[in-house]
Amino acid sequence: MNHKLSSRNKKAIAALFFFFVLFSLALFVFLLSTNKIRLAYNNDYQPDQPIPFSHAIHVGQYQMDCRYCHTAVEEGRHAGVPSLDICMNCHLTVKPDSPYIQKLVEAYGNNQPIVWEKVHLLPDFVKFNHSLHIKALSGRFSQTSHLPPSGDQVRKTCTTCHGKVENMKIMYQHESLSMGWCVQCHRKEESKAPIDCSTCHY
Amino acid sequence: MKKDSSLKEKTKYWLSLEQWGKDKEFQSLVTRQDREFLTPLPSEKEAEGLWERREFLQLMAASLALASFGCMRRPTEKIVPYVKRPDDIMLGEANFYSSSYFDGEEGFGTLVRTREGRPIKIEGNKNHPMNQGGLSARAHSHILNLYDPERLKDPQQNLFNKEKSNRESIRAAYSTADADIVEHLKKGKAAFLTGEWPSPSSEHLLRDFCNKNSCAHFVWNPVNHSTLAETQKLCYGTALVPRLALDRARLILSIDCDFLGTWLSPTEFNRLYSQKRKANRDMNRLVVFESLLSLTGTNADWRVRIMPSQQLNLVLSLVHSLMEKGFVKAQWPNHLDKPSLHSYKDFHIKKEVWDQLINDLWETRGQSLILAGESNAKEAKKLQIAVAWLNHLLGNDGWTVDYTHPYRTWTWANRKLETLVENLEQGKIKTLIIHRTNPLYSYPNKKRLEAAIKKADLVVYTGDREDETGRLAHYILPDHHDLEKWSDWEFQKGTLSVQQPTIRPLYRTRAFEDALIKWASLIGTDSQLGSWYEYLKKNTIAGAGLGFSWNSFLKTGVYIKNPDQRERRSPARVFKSSALSSITHVKRTRSKHSDGEYELVLYLTGGLKDGSLANVSWLQEFPDPVTKICWDNYLCVSPATARKKGWQEGQIVELKKGGNSVAPEEGVSSKSDISSAKNEKQKKTTNIIKAPIHIQPGQADGVLALALGYGRERAGKVANQVGVNGYPMAEVLDEGQSISFVSSVPIDITSTSKKIPLANTQGHHSMEGRQIVVETTLKKYLKNPGGAIHRHKVFSLWSSHQYPKHKWGMVIDLNSCTGCSACVSACQSENNVPTVGKDLMLQGREMHWIRIDRYYKGTPEEPETVHQPVVCMHCDNAPCETVCPVAATVHSDEGTNDMIYNRCVGTRYCANNCPYKVRRFNWFNYVKKVEKPLNMAMNPDVTVRSRGVMEKCTFCIHRVREAQAKAKLENRTLKDGDIQTACQQSCPTGAIVFGDLKDKSSEVYRLFNREDSYSLLEELNTQPAVRYQVKVRNKKESDTSHEKDHHG
Repeated sequence: MNHKLSSRNKKAIAALFFFFVLFSLALFVFLLSTNKIRLAYNNDYQPDQPIPFSHAIHVGQYQMDCRYCHTAVEEGRHAGVPSLDICMNCHLTVKPDSPYIQKLVEAYGNNQPIVWEKVHLLPDFVKFNHSLHIKALSGRFSQTSHLPPSGDQVRKTCTTCHGKVENMKIMYQHESLSMGWCVQCHRKEESKAPIDCSTCHY
Repeated sequence: MKKDSSLKEKTKYWLSLEQWGKDKEFQSLVTRQDREFLTPLPSEKEAEGLWERREFLQLMAASLALASFGCMRRPTEKIVPYVKRPDDIMLGEANFYSSSYFDGEEGFGTLVRTREGRPIKIEGNKNHPMNQGGLSARAHSHILNLYDPERLKDPQQNLFNKEKSNRESIRAAYSTADADIVEHLKKGKAAFLTGEWPSPSSEHLLRDFCNKNSCAHFVWNPVNHSTLAETQKLCYGTALVPRLALDRARLILSIDCDFLGTWLSPTEFNRLYSQKRKANRDMNRLVVFESLLSLTGTNADWRVRIMPSQQLNLVLSLVHSLMEKGFVKAQWPNHLDKPSLHSYKDFHIKKEVWDQLINDLWETRGQSLILAGESNAKEAKKLQIAVAWLNHLLGNDGWTVDYTHPYRTWTWANRKLETLVENLEQGKIKTLIIHRTNPLYSYPNKKRLEAAIKKADLVVYTGDREDETGRLAHYILPDHHDLEKWSDWEFQKGTLSVQQPTIRPLYRTRAFEDALIKWASLIGTDSQLGSWYEYLKKNTIAGAGLGFSWNSFLKTGVYIKNPDQRERRSPARVFKSSALSSITHVKRTRSKHSDGEYELVLYLTGGLKDGSLANVSWLQEFPDPVTKICWDNYLCVSPATARKKGWQEGQIVELKKGGNSVAPEEGVSSKSDISSAKNEKQKKTTNIIKAPIHIQPGQADGVLALALGYGRERAGKVANQVGVNGYPMAEVLDEGQSISFVSSVPIDITSTSKKIPLANTQGHHSMEGRQIVVETTLKKYLKNPGGAIHRHKVFSLWSSHQYPKHKWGMVIDLNSCTGCSACVSACQSENNVPTVGKDLMLQGREMHWIRIDRYYKGTPEEPETVHQPVVCMHCDNAPCETVCPVAATVHSDEGTNDMIYNRCVGTRYCANNCPYKVRRFNWFNYVKKVEKPLNMAMNPDVTVRSRGVMEKCTFCIHRVREAQAKAKLENRTLKDGDIQTACQQSCPTGAIVFGDLKDKSSEVYRLFNREDSYSLLEELNTQPAVRYQVKVRNKKESDTSHEKDHHG
């Protein structure tokens, strides 16, 4: 028996294949548009960290000011992950028996940094400035705008984008950090924020 | 296999990286090209080196398929915080350190911008009186020099065999090297061979060391101004290089002196020159007599072509005519023949023009400045004496010739390298320590020097790589880079500036001064010196005197001893007429050159200069301000010479200097007779060099010009074998302590049939009758400033943009712009602009965001030249915006034309539709080819572009955003001057002004709407946000009569 396909069969298979591809593409686009699958968005991304640092304890339980550790948040573009000497301010005496704290002390003693997994990652072609957002948003929560924002105000400001940090045992990404998400806020009348492309892209 | 090797040859560092030659898979990809249907387009093959287009597409398809699965997983990054954060570092914010830059000849104050502890850009220090914020193109590239991947990482020891022919280097420890060196130093017969660098503390330390350990000290700087200093001694009694106050001069007469391009202190001169270049009644006038078209010549109001051998005669004729007219009452020296009263005919100029020049000189007496270059070292001494005489007769001394603030030069230094060579040959010197100079590259008689150096028992070199000189050194003990090292500088007397380290030394290098201190303590001559930093601090404080504070010195970067004195007039010195006796003979000038009588001029380019920074790709790709050629040097000839010899652009010719029989020049005094006979021996050994022809408009007929600084053999992957080395064509002079860059001995030239393409970024020189550069004369300008501009009536179909807050705009003053191209380098450094290499440059794929268009006007023989910087015009009706299918280039609410890289799909419609041709396309992924640690020079504020993306000038929008953020955090509005673009910041002449056009009090608003401002291609109604101010030449009516006279 001749196993060669007739040209008609060939055409049929090609047509079938073509429709299959078309269908899967359409399905893909549909799922994308309804947010059923998310490409490149990383909400809820929660990597394992070398030390399971808990914001829930530091912020939730002990009510620490965000700025105690993230020192540059009001002045610089990066909030800054604290250097180890900031940790050591307290942990010289606080909970020295914990294996994690011991790891921390050891790293500090050896002058070795702790290498954290980055949670909130923007592409390199996006420029984001923390200080401007803190300034703009904290004004919204404060009644006395001429005073520097209180710890409470700042936390409200931070949680706008970072979510309920005070409940996070391990840090995770709350929002999608997609451009659409950025812009929906920038577009609001009350935020008075620019929406030029070169606001963030340059 | 053959194909493989040919590819390998073409490979330059910007083309290939770690894969090349190491990875077998890649090798097989390259050699698989035999299949004919895979043969790529030649250009692409060359450009990519590794990837053929088809292969690339195949792989792209595959990776796309993979990527659609792959991107389900996010990319991950790490955060590495400090263990102990330094107080002054805030992540993401730049720190500035005041420092200094010195390139072997010129120096000035800088501010080094660092991010997270690494320097990323050099900016000018506004406090420094010399540059006041301006910068040179070379200073920017210092950053790339710091991160050069080919710098030595360890001290090296060379395991020589007896013939010193093998070159196996091993890592050495400083302790063993020091022990060895000290042992040799103790034996005596030691000498230092150094460059010249005006650091008072280094100088002090080195001289001390030489005295205490009885070492000889020689200085080798191929380009130096010792002749000028020496003639000042003859004329006035003190050896010094005076400060030339161009800002006080109403008439500047330059004789083969490229003070705006390369001579002495060009960045400072650019600034001073532009001060009096504003179009008003006070505007200065620049007259240039020169042989090749230099940058200074392109800026001249009136330019005359002369041969280098005519320089002296010109000055003497000027003096003589001034006397004949009865202006100057002085005695013509008896021993000198009076120049003919008709000598102006030698320069092809008319009598009335000459008379006009003489009248002008007398009219502006006391406020004029005569400058002469020293390239023709054979006559340089006589010429400089004559020039000093003329300046004296015109009463310029003490005012435009400011001898109270001379440049610091080592007048005590022994510059006779010849003596050192003889000593080495005779075994009088056995230990040689070489620092800050590379004589085996720049010494004309290389073979002799090499043989002599090989005779030494121990050669120590402190260069940063195993270069031409390092190859022959027993030890290479690399010095820190200037950006890693403490130093102090005194470029001009009374102005101290600091050099602070801005990064911890990248490698195991050691400061030369620390080495000296170490050796001194090991020998036992000096053990109380401390570290170099301590020594420097102590020495600086002691030298500066009262009222000096170290901390404020570090902060401002500068300490000026008597700030008021700089503005004061000093009394004219007494001119010793005995100096004139040195002018023994005035050569009869040739009015026309005969065949075979060529004068070879070796000149410097603003990019590479003496060649020490040759391995910096920015400088190699830096289009020469005049010829606009990069990645090569070439033999410039005049159009007439080329026509006569039948030479074509790019044709290779062979040059041979000094044939077998060199007859002494007719009538040369007896003393130099002997010297020229002595030289003859050396001349026979001169090399033959091959260089391509470049036909240069405006060059004197019979002059051949070749740029120095090229043809490095061992500088690194970028510079090796780029161009030819011109130094062997220079002559070592016996009496002068320097070498002559002008050769008047006959030169044998052989044409070959070979041709190479020259990467010219501007092949088209004409404006095609359009209004691109608007030029006028001062006289016309004063009557009607905007008179020269042809205004168009335009109307728009578009509704105009609304700008609620700001509209950024720029005004470029063509009158101030000298074309020095510092902005090109500044932009490259600031905006991470990649270099692409010669092959891609030839295809017009350069990436510079700012270019300086150079147009010639008039005849090819006597052209007038204009420079026009062109950036993105940020048009209101931008043609690029309307054609982008994906809206990747859009108009912002602040008037800028934004380029959104992440949106761009690379259709290139925008570039095609841009009438100003300012858009640049990333044909390849240039950044992947950046070798580590060169990536550390990248500016983190600017996105690094990838393949397939369009890019262009952004108006430094990141600087705008930074200033806006700063103002917002400080609760204030933006002030005029808060934002400076990178090009504006480094412009030494202040030709570029940037600001907010909505702010009516701003400088840019005032200039933008002035009647002498116009926009480029106004008739297209693109409504650019960049305007130009009319170029004004301070012309006399007589200037034109010269051209007519000469060309009918």
